[in-house]
Amino acid sequence: MPVVEVDPDELRRLTGHGEKSDEELKTDLFALGLEYEGETEDGEMQLEFGPDRLDRLSVEGVARSLRYQYGDDRGVYVPKTNDPDWTIEVAETVPPERPYVTGAVVRGVNLDEAALDSLIQLQEKLHATMGRGRAKAAIGIHDLTMLKGRALADDAPAGPGHRITYRGVAPDGDRFVPLDSDAELTPAGVLDDHPTGETYADLLRGLERYPAIYDEIGLFSFPPVINGRRTEVSTASRDLLIELTGTDQWTIDRMCTVICYALDARGATIEEVDVAYMDGAEPPAEGAQLRRPDLDVEAKHVTHDRVETILGVSLDEAEVVDLFERSGLGVTVDDGLYRAEIPPYRVDVLHQLDLIDDVGRAYGFNDLTPRYPDVATVGERHEGSRLESVVRTQLVGLGFEDLLNFHMTNAPNCLDRMRVAAGSDVLGGGQPVEIVEPYSEDYTILRTWALPSLVTVLSNNTHRSYPQDLAEIGLTARRDDETPTGVGESRHVAAVLARTDASYEDAKARLTALVADLGADLATPPVEHPSFLEGRVAAVEIDGERAGVVGELHPAVLVDHDLELPVAAFEFDLDALR
Amino acid sequence: MRLPESQVAVLDVLSAADERTVATVVEETGLKPETVTGAAFDLRDEELVAVSEAERVDHHLTAEGEQYLTEGLPEVRLYRAAAGDEAFPIGDATDVAGLSGQAVQIALSNFARKGYGVVDAGAVDPDPDADPGADPEAAALAAVADGETEGVAAKTLDRLAERGLLARDESTVRSLVLTDDGVTAVTEGVEAAETADRLTPEMLTTGEWRDVEFAAYDVEADAPAVEGGRVHILRQTAERVKEVLVGMGFDEMQGPHADAEFWINDCLFMPQDHPARTHWDQFALDVPPMDGLPADLVDRVAAAHREGIGPDGNGYHSPWTEDVAREVDLRGHTTSLSMRHLSGHAVGELAPPQRFFSVEKVYRNDTLDPTHLLEFFQIEGWVMADSLSVRDLMGTFEEFYRQFGITDIEFKPHYNPYTEPSFELFGQHPETGDLIEIGNSGLFRDEVLRPLGVECDVMAWGLALERLLMLTYGFDDIRDVHGTLCDLDLLRETEVLY
Repeated sequence: MPVVEVDPDELRRLTGHGEKSDEELKTDLFALGLEYEGETEDGEMQLEFGPDRLDRLSVEGVARSLRYQYGDDRGVYVPKTNDPDWTIEVAETVPPERPYVTGAVVRGVNLDEAALDSLIQLQEKLHATMGRGRAKAAIGIHDLTMLKGRALADDAPAGPGHRITYRGVAPDGDRFVPLDSDAELTPAGVLDDHPTGETYADLLRGLERYPAIYDEIGLFSFPPVINGRRTEVSTASRDLLIELTGTDQWTIDRMCTVICYALDARGATIEEVDVAYMDGAEPPAEGAQLRRPDLDVEAKHVTHDRVETILGVSLDEAEVVDLFERSGLGVTVDDGLYRAEIPPYRVDVLHQLDLIDDVGRAYGFNDLTPRYPDVATVGERHEGSRLESVVRTQLVGLGFEDLLNFHMTNAPNCLDRMRVAAGSDVLGGGQPVEIVEPYSEDYTILRTWALPSLVTVLSNNTHRSYPQDLAEIGLTARRDDETPTGVGESRHVAAVLARTDASYEDAKARLTALVADLGADLATPPVEHPSFLEGRVAAVEIDGERAGVVGELHPAVLVDHDLELPVAAFEFDLDALR
Repeated sequence: MRLPESQVAVLDVLSAADERTVATVVEETGLKPETVTGAAFDLRDEELVAVSEAERVDHHLTAEGEQYLTEGLPEVRLYRAAAGDEAFPIGDATDVAGLSGQAVQIALSNFARKGYGVVDAGAVDPDPDADPGADPEAAALAAVADGETEGVAAKTLDRLAERGLLARDESTVRSLVLTDDGVTAVTEGVEAAETADRLTPEMLTTGEWRDVEFAAYDVEADAPAVEGGRVHILRQTAERVKEVLVGMGFDEMQGPHADAEFWINDCLFMPQDHPARTHWDQFALDVPPMDGLPADLVDRVAAAHREGIGPDGNGYHSPWTEDVAREVDLRGHTTSLSMRHLSGHAVGELAPPQRFFSVEKVYRNDTLDPTHLLEFFQIEGWVMADSLSVRDLMGTFEEFYRQFGITDIEFKPHYNPYTEPSFELFGQHPETGDLIEIGNSGLFRDEVLRPLGVECDVMAWGLALERLLMLTYGFDDIRDVHGTLCDLDLLRETEVLY
């Protein structure tokens, strides 16, 4: 979940509540769903929250939410914008993998260290969340005064104002000096030789052309990787160009809006830009003319009745209107139907339930009185669960220690060390289901049988007292084309008796008792199994169906597990007892 | 009077006049010492015998003491070897006196201490007037060996003990004498009642048990350890959870561990580019994509992702393909079972009201640490009714957690892609009082329910069983109990809760 670092003094200043103590702030933030996780070395609060309210990824956004919660602000706020002076042209050479661009101009920013840190944090957190690690969207922020804006595309329509161009560049095309570097590099050179380039190289590898943004002087932004040094933002910067590129117009527009709101909260002025998709640019935006940032307010509807049934309380309409407004939503009501206006920085409102959630948060969910629902149902255990429970009880009655092992294991433990070959016609010999990109070499397959888990437990507990009689009922799995998922799953009953005088008879005695307890018939015809001593191993046949194996473990298996005493064992499919 | 055989035997050899030690009684009766002592105490309790106790010290020689008894004390041997010589080289002590190694040092230090002569400059000058033949320590060795230590000076015995030649055993000597009641009893006649060590089947069938005194055991003595089998503590906790939930009216769900992403993620309205859907978080399996997903349901789920639900609903601005939905993974949560049930594809179409739960394993590609395993049990539960509110959800969880001693639940508003409103549940740790996260909950979104064909309300919650276990048992490392690294002793010794 996202964590945002917030300076409590900045928060007090931006909310206008200098009197709030840190503890009061923490309580108020918890009510908003922001959980205090600790503080940084610089004394900033680390706040964790769900990845829905991405407008809270900076101190400005957190302060805005608190001001609504305190009732200092109400309803929808939309920053005023000035008419555009800049146009972003989109050339047909833009790589089709990253066709979209948006942006805004912000003037009169007062970037002290705190404001600049907050802006950088917001940018990085947006990259990590909505931007999906820059794969979906990437942000570039530039010092506008360093840009020169003559149109560069040959086929650009003539018009007033300044122009920059979003276009494609050959990997070994124009050189530029990236941030944190003194060298002029080609885009491919950045991916090879610049630390940031190496981090994001995978996002561009294999593309014929790389995305780039040019002004009159040349390439100044290489999204989604790095900006040029020429337009680097500092505390001295007053006017900014924000550009975003990505794979989805809506996503980059929302992210742009969040940044504009944060800068507006610090007193900056937002100026629109025009985005002009050239004829021949990638669909669906071909020829589209967009005016950005997109600060349109969207409306959704919810009935008074639905608000009441979800929250479980009776409210009057004026109260609900008040709660909407204190959530930062605009609202009108007509005959029990609310029309809520949703500010453009909200990316999480997809449905009327999201509106009710906002109303609930403003009301204070913890102020609701819990009640046990007046819903009558009759509960019951699943038949398979009852069977497993009963068999476990019988095993314990027979003196077995009930164990619990992982379903994920590896082929050496599950097969090789038990002398079983994958794909052989013995218990445990099914084709193992493999895990793609496993976490570690210890967990690469699902176990084909359970006995290896118990033998491993024996092996890890040779310093504990004997006898060690262990049993487990648990999942086993194998490749199975007959099952819809392709994975044949079955619960197996496995048991080992490790004691100085363990013999086949000991295992069979307990197996016999167990099967008889469940009212089934047991037969044990001789069989061969590589994990067991030849001549002392039998198939477990329950009610005439072959279900497993019982015998004395092969000395080679014991020695391989550092066991210095005999082990008798059995394993069979639990469903055979059904 | 009828008394156990052993007590009668002891009484027979006692008198009122002379004290007899237990050892004497043992000799005379032929009984075991512990039997006589036991009988003596029983008779004392009956006030038939008086028991007096005296502390006694027995001396015996150590192995070294025995050796010197046979070979002579080293200093004496040195004196004899050196006798008549004014400057007997110490180096010759080995050859002439047969002393070696440490014995030379022992000989020299005692030689000097006893004034047998002067040790100087690597040579020994014996005092011709000394008389090692009258060495009291040598005499004491012989006396101890004969058990005649009474005439030996205590100082000499102490010296032998310091030299490690003598060991002392301290014991209590009990002496027995008849009391007046005892004399009366013996005079009136005492009969032996038969005593038996064990109750045998024969005694029961013949009725002999009526005439038998059963020998008393030392009932406070330790008994041999028994390792009975027991249900794994995590299973015990699961059983308790199931019992509670069935009691609250919940039906149990079961279903596949390996399942299509469709059931695991897509039905839950998790966008396909959600960070939790990468292989960094979930385990994909190398089996072919799953065929036979219900086509109409797939269409409705895809539409919810793309366009949302309702006239002014929005979908995600993320790509959605059926290919991704058909990939088979290990389930990251048992909500896949809830989706199968709610869709009508598990146990048929469900009409409200319904309650369902499961306590089953889930798999997450997490970093292994004391509180996180790659596999753990998830408690999953949901309630379906025509109309449900946040208050119903709160009331249900309060009731559930109250059963485990967790009260004063706080509901932190939270975000899940599949529920709204959503809450993280926090409760007070029953031991430490800390506020800890105990679950995640909410009302399923319309984008989840409508494609499944559910037109009423459903509230749901999830919780790691291991968290409940660690809360109720106070474990701090889950790896001790779950998996092949488990410690059998821990499993054998953990207290059973109810």
